[in-house]
Amino acid sequence: MALTQVSSNKCAGGFQKVFEHESTELKCKMKFAVYLPPKAETDKCPVMYWLSGLTCTEQNFITKAGSQLTAAEHGLIIVAPDTSPRGCSIEGEDESWDFGTGAGFYVDATQEPWKTNYCMYSYITEELPKLINANFPTDPDKMSISGHSMGGHGALICALKNPGKYKAVSAFAPICNPMQCPWGQKAFSGYLGSDRSTWEAYDATVLAASYSGPQLDILIDQGRDDQFLSASQLLPDNLIAVCSEKKIPVVFRLQPGYDHSYFFIYSFINDHIKHHAKYLNA
Amino acid sequence: MDLYEIRGGMLDVIAEESEHQELSRESTTMDRADARFSVNTNESLCFDPCEDSSPSPTGAEDGFDDDDDGGDDVFREGETENEIISIRNQLQGKVTEMENFAGHLEEIFLTVEENFGRQEQHLEQHYNDVLQTLSQRYDERAAGLGEEKKNKLEALYGQLLACGRALDASKELIETAQEIYRSQDKRLFLKTVMPTIKRIEEFAKEEVDLSLSTSLEFSTPLADLSDVKTMMDSINVVPAPSAPVINPQMPNSATQTSLRVCWSLFSDDTVEYYELYYRPVLEDTPADSTCAPQVSKVKVRETHCTVKDLLPNAQYELWVTATNTTGISPASEKALYMTVPSPPVIKQRECTSCPEAALIRWESGNTNPVDSYTVEFSERGTDGTESTITESIVAVPTCQCLIQLQPGRCYLVSVRAVNIGGPSDKSEVITISTTGTFFYLLEDTAHPCLSISEDGFTIFYGDEELPISAMASDDNTFTRCVAVLGDLIPVRGRHYWEVEVDDGTEFRIGVAYEDTEKNSYLGANSTSWCMRHILSPTRHKYEFLHSGWSPDLRITVNPVRIGVALDYNRGTLSFFNVNLEQHLHTFQCNFRNYVHPCFSLDNPGALTIHNGIEAPEYTFI
Repeated sequence: MALTQVSSNKCAGGFQKVFEHESTELKCKMKFAVYLPPKAETDKCPVMYWLSGLTCTEQNFITKAGSQLTAAEHGLIIVAPDTSPRGCSIEGEDESWDFGTGAGFYVDATQEPWKTNYCMYSYITEELPKLINANFPTDPDKMSISGHSMGGHGALICALKNPGKYKAVSAFAPICNPMQCPWGQKAFSGYLGSDRSTWEAYDATVLAASYSGPQLDILIDQGRDDQFLSASQLLPDNLIAVCSEKKIPVVFRLQPGYDHSYFFIYSFINDHIKHHAKYLNA
Repeated sequence: MDLYEIRGGMLDVIAEESEHQELSRESTTMDRADARFSVNTNESLCFDPCEDSSPSPTGAEDGFDDDDDGGDDVFREGETENEIISIRNQLQGKVTEMENFAGHLEEIFLTVEENFGRQEQHLEQHYNDVLQTLSQRYDERAAGLGEEKKNKLEALYGQLLACGRALDASKELIETAQEIYRSQDKRLFLKTVMPTIKRIEEFAKEEVDLSLSTSLEFSTPLADLSDVKTMMDSINVVPAPSAPVINPQMPNSATQTSLRVCWSLFSDDTVEYYELYYRPVLEDTPADSTCAPQVSKVKVRETHCTVKDLLPNAQYELWVTATNTTGISPASEKALYMTVPSPPVIKQRECTSCPEAALIRWESGNTNPVDSYTVEFSERGTDGTESTITESIVAVPTCQCLIQLQPGRCYLVSVRAVNIGGPSDKSEVITISTTGTFFYLLEDTAHPCLSISEDGFTIFYGDEELPISAMASDDNTFTRCVAVLGDLIPVRGRHYWEVEVDDGTEFRIGVAYEDTEKNSYLGANSTSWCMRHILSPTRHKYEFLHSGWSPDLRITVNPVRIGVALDYNRGTLSFFNVNLEQHLHTFQCNFRNYVHPCFSLDNPGALTIHNGIEAPEYTFI
């Protein structure tokens, strides 16, 4: 469980740091970024986990999203892990940008050769929180989750599969129904095999239909000019239809003119951090 | 407290007192009663009634001897000591009071002495005047009588001489006749007798006036002493009083229907009673009007009077005359007094509040204008008790007042009207709670199709057709959108209210400037911001409209209780699903003017406003 500090930069009164550690779930060295607000110097702070999208590392969010000022204001620690195991020398892992390295899809793989290392779901929900709580001044009962695109999918399934574990959840342009889109079908068949019933455990729309647990309040922002929205990779309408039927509270905002980039995230990250702070600081 | 009454009472005491003193001056020892009231001796200042009323220290010591318990002794000693201290303090207070009283008496004594001296001087003057007058009369009369006597004597002396001469003449005649008679010579006799007889006859014809030419009585005309009598009378009789001096109106001496009037007399005057005249000054009555208000009159013995049964907030003209046994004084100057106004009437439905302040509006309650108003408020504790501290805002010129308050409290507010005569009674008290923002609807803005429940917080849009006549309305009324505005307090803070709707109701709720275009739909212009619910055949649609534009937004759970949070400082207007504590949307706008809540129904239905509730914490993150 030893942490190696890779970098530390003062930021918004606190510190933006990157650490490296040896992951037991993923059986490789993993990096993660952690933002420590000024409040963390004296108090225990809630933690928001941020899951990035396809091709991203821990760097994208911390350098592009502009989350630190608002996180400092509300006293939130933000943890941004990498998006997949790296350097595991699995055949084909670097062949495509939407599968393998940088495309862990936040599932626990059941298929060879991925199942040894590609256990991002367990890493995100179990190993990483333990590590964070052990090494930083956190309030272990106060955690929330958010993400972008594939990370949005990850955030939604983590929240839906673990009722009560995350106090708040939000997403930017999430892949809402991976079973029904080309990205999800490629990843799920690779990591989980051809039995589609096993896919359901990682599909937000399916999970929402059977959700029972403490009330969620889901905030979703989606750029209207997002090329992946028109390419039917994201399918938010399916999720909204299920949530409307199941009375799961969702505010879905279709933001005109915005695309799928971090410029879009940067524009609305404050609303999301406030959304998380409302529940984490309650 | 009336100074004159007290003075009168003290004067009596003094009068008695001086008698006592007169008596006791010979025997220098005075008894206690005298010492109590004497004002010229030092003894009065050390008058000490404690020996009569307080337990003596020796008595307390006796108590110790009787008790064997030492611990109790200490306790009792402390107790007794305290008791003694308190008694001593009381006595000191009494002594101070007595000293003050003695001081008063001394002053009064001096005044009486001075007045007495003046009176004495006055009497002496009178006495001298009378004496002088009398002696002058005496001299005049004596001189007159002397003159008369001289005249009379002169006349009598003249008469006496005349008589003497007549006597001499008759004597000589008699002697001549006798001589003739005795003559022997007949011829000679006969020769002389005839002329002598003729002479005697002639003499006899001359009658001598023997009556006194002057009367023996002196004419003594009746002395006219009436002026002396007047002078004598005026020594006993006090002069008619001079005109009393009527005082200007004292603060807090008037009520709604009564006036307390005071006047004073000159110290030399003695007055049996006063007559106070008064009449209302009606501004709209011309000066030469024949129907001038009737003058009323009261007879009083004191130098003050409370005139009753008057009109509220009215000016009265008053004057006073003094009368004693000698006569009536001229009238005093005319003074103007004013009755206090009737209490104002708070317009409960037009009062609005928020956690920091309350806007109170009222009606004057008086037909003619008052000078100003005073707003009084005090905090009511959680146990219903009223705080003893009452804060006031004075000199409020208009019929409304914004008062700054503390959040989360409960206040009792009342208003008084004030004129020269003083403040009116309290208006009815209203309760203001600063838990949350509270407002009523501005019913004059309501679209004719909109009806409002009796409590003022539920609006209905019925589907019956209205006659065209009902559509005629003023500029304030919404003519197109079936809407109404709420009367939000003009305070640039945070405000929160909730709206309860049926999820089958199409509505628009939000805020609008007071002068928002009343012939357009809420949210369709730049002067209103609102959340709109639209029922489409397939789904519920929510819009957040301003200037006719709304973000594209999907809400999966239909809010049926919507929280609206307005924050002027941050320039935000946020909407929440209260049941889920879910944030729905936030408008960013720096509201340049004050806004009012607005509510509209786009199809027949109802909507209920809940306000005066505390804003949940999440609404202002």
